[in-house]
Amino acid sequence: MKKLFLILGFIAAILALILAVTPLFKIAFIPAIAALLFGLLTLFVSKDKQQYKKPIQLVFLMTIIALVLTTYKTVYTESEVGNTEQMEQKEEQLEEESIQELEDLEIDELEIE
Amino acid sequence: MKFILPLLILCSSYISNAQNNTIVAGEKLTYTASYNMSGLLNDLAQVTMETSEVKTSKSTLLKLKCTATTYSKWDNFFKIRDLYESYVSPKTLTPYLYNRDINEGGYEKFMKYTFSHKTKTVSSIMRKPRADGSIWEVKKSVKIGGSTRDLVTTLYHIRNLDIHKANVGDSQNFTVLFDNKETVVRIKLLGKETLNTALGRKECYKLAISLNNSNVLKGSNDNVIWLTADENKIPVYAKFKIAVGSGELKIKSATGLKY
Repeated sequence: MKKLFLILGFIAAILALILAVTPLFKIAFIPAIAALLFGLLTLFVSKDKQQYKKPIQLVFLMTIIALVLTTYKTVYTESEVGNTEQMEQKEEQLEEESIQELEDLEIDELEIE
Repeated sequence: MKFILPLLILCSSYISNAQNNTIVAGEKLTYTASYNMSGLLNDLAQVTMETSEVKTSKSTLLKLKCTATTYSKWDNFFKIRDLYESYVSPKTLTPYLYNRDINEGGYEKFMKYTFSHKTKTVSSIMRKPRADGSIWEVKKSVKIGGSTRDLVTTLYHIRNLDIHKANVGDSQNFTVLFDNKETVVRIKLLGKETLNTALGRKECYKLAISLNNSNVLKGSNDNVIWLTADENKIPVYAKFKIAVGSGELKIKSATGLKY
């Protein structure tokens, strides 16, 4: 039982850490909380407190790093649009092409339902 | 005279149905697209819908443009630069030319439709870059129905409908040409709701969107769009159900509106 909790805790902590460095960092809160719960569960379930001391500490450490990183990013990251220069150039080029094509096209004021 | 008056009213209402009285040039709507998982919102991209006037030597047309751009934090992972545009008649919103230029995480594709409403055909051009850098071009002529539109025009056309005349539960079908195929989109009025948006508290029409014979959008009433219940009928919020979590589109700003 405690082994299972410990493994689940490890998986959740690693997942939280991975998610925390991706742009989907907000989702890292879910595995981070799960990792904390599993870590605590392992602590409570194991009678011999010394047995899994090191691995549990590692789980907590990873989770705390993930949480700090996620919280920092949530507060300080602003959503900005990246470089759109290429798209704008393409758009201008497309508009020129389209206008030329529309010149040749017969525009009739047809109504469609 | 007794007969003419109702006839006149009938005719004028028919004409106003087909006329564009909502969309003007110079309008710009900006949205934030986000992914929602258990209440944790992740901003993905900025979506804009813009209109402008385009002049040719013979006529003046309305250009409807929609773009989707991922936020800079995503650009290294999955960069999206999508451009959809349609050149339509400013009076009736009839599409003449449609361009779609997409770049989604390295996948590039260009589509162009030239509408010929008299012959009910669309000549389409598709361009895709090959792995070796050369360009693969496919030209096709597609037969369309009398009421087929492209994607962008359909979006704007929905805003131009007389929704205030519809009853709750009413639905209407639209035929959309996408990837050289005609797809039927069904819009159903679910009712009215008041939403808190970036533009303030707005009373909105709640419309459900579903696609016939396609499984892109899941669920029947899970894909919903909210249009303001005023003359502008701007979409302020949209929700889409996907496999895990849901996608959201929220309005950020709106400028150049008619009313």
